[in-house]
Amino acid sequence: MINTVLNVLSDIVLLIGLFFVFLGMLGLLRLPDAYNRLHATSKIATLGAFGVMLSIVLRTGFTPLGVKAIAVGLFLLLTAPIAAHMITRAAHRHGVGLCKESVVDEYGKACKLSKK
Amino acid sequence: MKKYISLAAVLGIVWCFIHGTFLGIVWCFIHGTFLGIVWCFIHGTFSFNSFIFGLLIGLVCIRPFRFLYKPESNFNLFSPPSRIISIIRYFVVLIKEIIKANIVVAKIVLKPKIDINPGIIAVPIRCKTDLGITAIANTITLTPGTITVDISDNKSLLYVHCIDASDPDAVAASIRNGLEKYVLEAFE
Repeated sequence: MINTVLNVLSDIVLLIGLFFVFLGMLGLLRLPDAYNRLHATSKIATLGAFGVMLSIVLRTGFTPLGVKAIAVGLFLLLTAPIAAHMITRAAHRHGVGLCKESVVDEYGKACKLSKK
Repeated sequence: MKKYISLAAVLGIVWCFIHGTFLGIVWCFIHGTFLGIVWCFIHGTFSFNSFIFGLLIGLVCIRPFRFLYKPESNFNLFSPPSRIISIIRYFVVLIKEIIKANIVVAKIVLKPKIDINPGIIAVPIRCKTDLGITAIANTITLTPGTITVDISDNKSLLYVHCIDASDPDAVAASIRNGLEKYVLEAFE
């Protein structure tokens, strides 16, 4: 009984996770510039991958596979923000411009001030 | 198994000499325990052998990066129980914010016409310690429509790329009142 419930739950979580991964990739294609695309990949795709890991844990329990999935999920949550931060900073320092819809760029102003 | 224990003891003493102080063995113990547990998670089996194996590999791996951080700076390992409660509260708020963030960005992605006003804004922060600043920066990146780009030289401003920067003051206020309160309670 409880096994069936866990399996169904794991399927649902897997579907939600895959849907979020799909949304992340859609955002990567549709949003205008590098910074906005990182919003899609760093947040939505992270939650999607975390959902897939959670579904593995629900299905297998505390076997070696499930424990590895827990570790992978935690490392994803820890490292995805750092990767996004480093990519945005590197892009800005290399002079990748913001898209034309952008309204403010206080970081660019501050960089110019510190150079003078 | 006895062989492993004596190996660990020898490595601890060597670590003492490398580090130069007696504190070395304390740090060897703390880092070693943590890395051993992490290795158990990665390996998937919780046994004494894999714990000791992870401890030995981990100590060798982190030695070259020792200069990157200062252990005596600011995290008290034996924190009072009230701090543990506020850390738990911080993680609950964090999970709630992550789910909210995903729904906000998902809505933007799914709209037929993309209509956004992105921009990089400066947000003043109250956190002083490195750990607090790291925590608030990571939290900002995981929450709705914001990514931390950089920190100012005097560590008082965070530059945040925001997917809807039409009202910068409102974004800064929501970060200050919503998230930073919990970070200040939990990590400072």
